[in-house]
Amino acid sequence: MSSDDTPNTETDAADSDGREPGTNTGQSDAPAAIERLVRASAVERALISVSALLLSVAVGFVLILAAGRMTTCSTAATTYFGVGFCYDPVTVYDLLFLGAFGDLSSDLINGQLATTLSQTTVLMFTGVAVAVAFRAGIFNIGTQGQLVVGALGSAVATLWASTLVSGVVGTLLLLPFGLAVGAFVGGVYGAIPGALKAYADANEVITTIMLNFVATAVALYLVQDHFQDPESVATQTVPLPEYATFPSVIFRARDDFSLVAFVVAAALLVAVYLLIERTSFGYDLRTSGIQPEAAEYGGVDAARTVVASMTLSGALAGMGGAVYVLMIIGNFQTGVPAYGFDGITVSILAGNNPLGVGFAALLFGVLKSGSIVVDVGTDVPPQLVGVLRGLIILFVAMPEFFRMIGTRVWSVRPSGSGGQPVTDGGTVADSRGDVEDDVDAESGVPTEGGERDE
Amino acid sequence: MSTAVTLDGITKRFPGVVANDDVTLEVERGTVHALLGENGAGKTTLMNVLYGLYEPTAGQVYVDGEPREFDSPRDAIDAGVGMIHQHFMLVDPMTVAENITLGNEPRKWGGLAVDRDAAREQVRELSERYGFDVDPDADVEDVSVGVQQRVEILKALYRGADVLILDEPTAVLTPQEVEELLAVLEELTAQGKTIIFITHKLGEAMHAADDITVLRDGKNVGSVKADTTTREELAELMVGREVLMETDKPPAEPGAVSLAVDGLRATDERGVEVVSDVSFDVREGEVFGIAGVDGNGQAELIEAVTGLRQPESGTVSFGGTDVTDWSRRRRIDEGMAYIPEDRQERGLVMEFDLVDNAILGSQHTAPFARGGRIDWDATREHAERIVAEYDVRPPNADATSGSLSGGNQQKFIVGREFERDPELVVATHPTRGVDIGSTEFIHDRLLDLRNEGRAVLLVSSKLDEVQGLSDRLAVMYEGEVMDVVDPEAVTEEELGLLMAGEYPEGYGPESEAGDAGCVATDGEPNEATQPASNDGSEGGTR
Repeated sequence: MSSDDTPNTETDAADSDGREPGTNTGQSDAPAAIERLVRASAVERALISVSALLLSVAVGFVLILAAGRMTTCSTAATTYFGVGFCYDPVTVYDLLFLGAFGDLSSDLINGQLATTLSQTTVLMFTGVAVAVAFRAGIFNIGTQGQLVVGALGSAVATLWASTLVSGVVGTLLLLPFGLAVGAFVGGVYGAIPGALKAYADANEVITTIMLNFVATAVALYLVQDHFQDPESVATQTVPLPEYATFPSVIFRARDDFSLVAFVVAAALLVAVYLLIERTSFGYDLRTSGIQPEAAEYGGVDAARTVVASMTLSGALAGMGGAVYVLMIIGNFQTGVPAYGFDGITVSILAGNNPLGVGFAALLFGVLKSGSIVVDVGTDVPPQLVGVLRGLIILFVAMPEFFRMIGTRVWSVRPSGSGGQPVTDGGTVADSRGDVEDDVDAESGVPTEGGERDE
Repeated sequence: MSTAVTLDGITKRFPGVVANDDVTLEVERGTVHALLGENGAGKTTLMNVLYGLYEPTAGQVYVDGEPREFDSPRDAIDAGVGMIHQHFMLVDPMTVAENITLGNEPRKWGGLAVDRDAAREQVRELSERYGFDVDPDADVEDVSVGVQQRVEILKALYRGADVLILDEPTAVLTPQEVEELLAVLEELTAQGKTIIFITHKLGEAMHAADDITVLRDGKNVGSVKADTTTREELAELMVGREVLMETDKPPAEPGAVSLAVDGLRATDERGVEVVSDVSFDVREGEVFGIAGVDGNGQAELIEAVTGLRQPESGTVSFGGTDVTDWSRRRRIDEGMAYIPEDRQERGLVMEFDLVDNAILGSQHTAPFARGGRIDWDATREHAERIVAEYDVRPPNADATSGSLSGGNQQKFIVGREFERDPELVVATHPTRGVDIGSTEFIHDRLLDLRNEGRAVLLVSSKLDEVQGLSDRLAVMYEGEVMDVVDPEAVTEEELGLLMAGEYPEGYGPESEAGDAGCVATDGEPNEATQPASNDGSEGGTR
């Protein structure tokens, strides 16, 4: 993008009312490529995504070769055109993808796929947690903290409850109980920054980040001083009995994956989707997220909506923590992986659509479990594996990102949503009106007023 | 005297909007030139063109007689044109001297370090030369808004500005600070500087300026000398004398008081009181109009009535109940429809399609929502009905409201609000940007509602509209209701004067109380248009 056609940079200062200038629907100033991208059909978008994935692999390929030239090794891993390279890109990508899915041709149900899906399951919770807040216009960076307190609460409460019931009945009672406790604790923890934002005007980005540290530190203290497993040197709680954790269905028990949890997560995504799209609460939430002034006009109680959506977001993250405990590790241990932070990327990748979160979480799960295998199976340093992961996410996200830029900054309308503005009876199609403060959108409309009214 | 700035045939188009239409303007050196016009008349756009923020679509800017092309404000400053924005661009924790010299600091040690002493000294000199009472060492956050404004002016002067553009400079000031500012402007022009200031207050323009140029709808509708013009002339130029519409309407049959506003005070975002002790009431079966130049508190008054702004004091009663503390949603549910002034920010969610937008405000109420679930089929039907009945184009309920033209957006909002079956319709600028045919349709529907016995509160800056539709007409000026008049009896001259904040000769509230109206602040309904009804006095006065 050349600096000449960025209309928004300089008009800011001109804007005496502080509104964002420069958006309009008419002949947009967007570069042609962006306009084309925004108007792409569903098939085109799918093709674009696939090409982006392939392109990221191509770039990664070159990167691996270059990195391989810059290290020293006794035997070259591969040789191209007589030049030896320390890392072989083909092996790396082979392990990355086969590591994620396992050898599907020989055994569909394998440990690799289980790891991928169990990562995916937890990321579905944190991803949808972030998405809910985003849709309400709130940037919840505190998903990690909400996940940690949810995990701890769930582990401790389930451990206590597991002394009361056991067996199949125990499983049927304890799992919903554990999830509910995780949701409750996470929800309360999410409600705190929500209330701070709604009633004390505290920026949620700051408060949620701070509460992440609080969560980790409090969890550490509670486990060390109150819930420590006396038989373990690690900082962790007493392991839950087998009947208090998610049962393995189809997959092997040692793979730490339960199809039940996966189905619960998937059902939850659909439920959240319906909540946002089909209910009055969802309407309030979406309106507040997109256009707070219009929400206010439409009678939405802004403060209540903020608290409610943060509570919901925290509850979803807390359930993610519960699933992490009840499905993957079987107790609470300090040093919870950064599912919460990955949830932010998952949500953005999914365009904050709860259904999209499922697919984005899957991509993340694939890359997470795949890169573990690459780490183990090759000499490629983990940092480089991280770069390769990042490349894939970046490339896959970019087309959607530019689409978003196109609709937000230049207000290019996607095809099928009304298209170009229409004129009626001589009224010039006006812009979104926030062209510039002192320009009344109508002031140029020729039909208004008496001039034509002879 | 020479010309400092000439704008020749400036046209500035934004997609779909002509903000400035062939504006030609000459500013004499050493004078104060006021640019007067309503909000949205294109004043700020024109000045942004002069300041290099916008490139004109057509036309030429001359500074000191030489043609200039400004690519950025820096070019404008180099040519001696400085602009002081309404919102100051100062760094609060830094001192006055640091702020003024920011980016152009005097250097020492061969340019390696900032010479703070020299900066302070230069600022002190500059401040004394123009008689500014500014302490260079004070932190900006500690000084008053008036002083901050002077710091902004000094900043422009420090950068060598000869022409100073001030955007609504008095909007943030107290009356006393305004006087101080005017003294500063006088001193500046005495020393050969040229001032252009943007304002929508005509009293201020007459008081402070030598020349006044009035913009309306992006056009220069007249340049006059401040000492030979009159307030009425300016008011007419600003609002535009428009053909009075022929509206057939049966005489009003006012019923019980629907809306009663009593002693209402409200402040704007800056905490300045913009609605001062306003009282009036609107009866069932009548259209109560509020006329006035935009920006005299109408917007805040309406927001307080509709529940979007918490008043500082006073009460709003609706249907005999005190609703001052009611939420916006409760007011909607109880039958208060509202056509907002800003349709693109408030009235519609731009990214939503019309189906979504059709239930904005009724997303919790039957028949569109039951048990927390939205009935999208009923909603779609409703949206399609509005689109058909109110002739929204394109006739496609799936179009996003952002893709509609402004007039069609307005028609959709009007349709949605009218279809609420309201007790009271609060309509602000209901026909702004709407074509003639639809305007008539909207007017007819408003009168239909009135004839059905609903109450209508109408705010419009179009004189013909408020005069033609209203049964009683209040005129607002600087947050106060000047008077409530009979729109059929009042003359345009009288209206113009009232809108300018003056009572016409021999037009005492007492002397005219019998026929033209009465002062609104005492809350009595106008005897001339009110039938003697026993519930007549309980609304406004209580």
